Amino acid sequence: MPPVTLTIEALTLFAGAVAGLLGAMLGIGGGVFLVPFLNLLLGFPYQAAAAISLTTVIATSSSVSAARSGRHLINMRLGMTLEVATAAGALLGGITAQEMSQSTLRILFSIVTALTAVAMIRRMTRRNVILDPDVSPGRLGGRFHEDESGGWVTYQVKRLPLGLAASFIAGNISSLLGIGGGVVKVPVLNAWCGVPMRAAAATSAFMIGVTATAGAVIYYGQGRLIPVLAAAAVVGVQIGSWGGIHLAARAKAKWLKLLMAIVLFVVSATMLWRGLR
Amino acid sequence: MNPVSHDRDDQLERLIGVVLKTGVTVSAFCLAAGLILRQVPATRGLSVAVIHVGLIVLLSTPVLRVVVSVYEYAREHDWLFVLLTMIVLVTLLGSLLVGIFG
Repeated sequence: MPPVTLTIEALTLFAGAVAGLLGAMLGIGGGVFLVPFLNLLLGFPYQAAAAISLTTVIATSSSVSAARSGRHLINMRLGMTLEVATAAGALLGGITAQEMSQSTLRILFSIVTALTAVAMIRRMTRRNVILDPDVSPGRLGGRFHEDESGGWVTYQVKRLPLGLAASFIAGNISSLLGIGGGVVKVPVLNAWCGVPMRAAAATSAFMIGVTATAGAVIYYGQGRLIPVLAAAAVVGVQIGSWGGIHLAARAKAKWLKLLMAIVLFVVSATMLWRGLR
Repeated sequence: MNPVSHDRDDQLERLIGVVLKTGVTVSAFCLAAGLILRQVPATRGLSVAVIHVGLIVLLSTPVLRVVVSVYEYAREHDWLFVLLTMIVLVTLLGSLLVGIFG
């Protein structure tokens, strides 16, 4: 493991800022950028990179959800129901991650990164389906005001067991790989559970704080978290995502998404190559 | 739709917003202060403690958010959600135990 010098600290802070900026602009967590940076470029063990990334995921989830609260985008009841599954998955993933080999984790990461890239390309042209605003949201559904169309969107939650299963897997890979796991949950909630894209993304981001905490506490307790680098990464990500939120309102995200999807494919291929070697 | 229950959910959402914002602000402040203190030889030892405080606040924020939810759902007598949020809380406690003793 490389020594934690001032240069390494500064690089981590800078990488965190870039990850936070891109994450906020693309609507994904910064973990997919931060983990390969720490593991492949700086040479920290996979578990150390995952632990640092998880702390930034908690900070991002907390600040994003705080900013969104009061706008009904977060479906709290659905989130708290699915958290039962994500937290259990994260606890299990956190236990197994301590024993897994670096090459297995890298190959898993490569697969999930490729999926993230595919999801990002598909989202470029997707719009929310117009739903009947008079339908009853039921016990777990929700209702929010959509700024783009200017109308109210009401939805019911369907196929809850499927949502719970996806959440369990999301929690599991979150702890194993050091990412939020939104890439697994959001498409399932949107495509199969009837949750509109924006509500699915906001609810997932809300849940991720608890999910990542279940994993991060294990790494922290086991002494796998390097406190100084976690501090640098969290501060960096907070600065970056603050900037990203302000930029995202102006920038056209479409081409950025395509560009970043290509970057993610490259990251995925590199991780796979390094994992198989 | 039951408007009363949605008003109460609004209150919970606002409360959670305050918890998350406070937690993330305090922890970011501690972590940034720790990084600065670390660059001065005289305060290097102190910086380690400040960074750990920052990390503990960061990790406690989502836990506190769940605790607040348990309390709010109990006040609403929504026992199903008291049970669900309690299960999440117990799972988080399980993680803490695995982290310390595992």
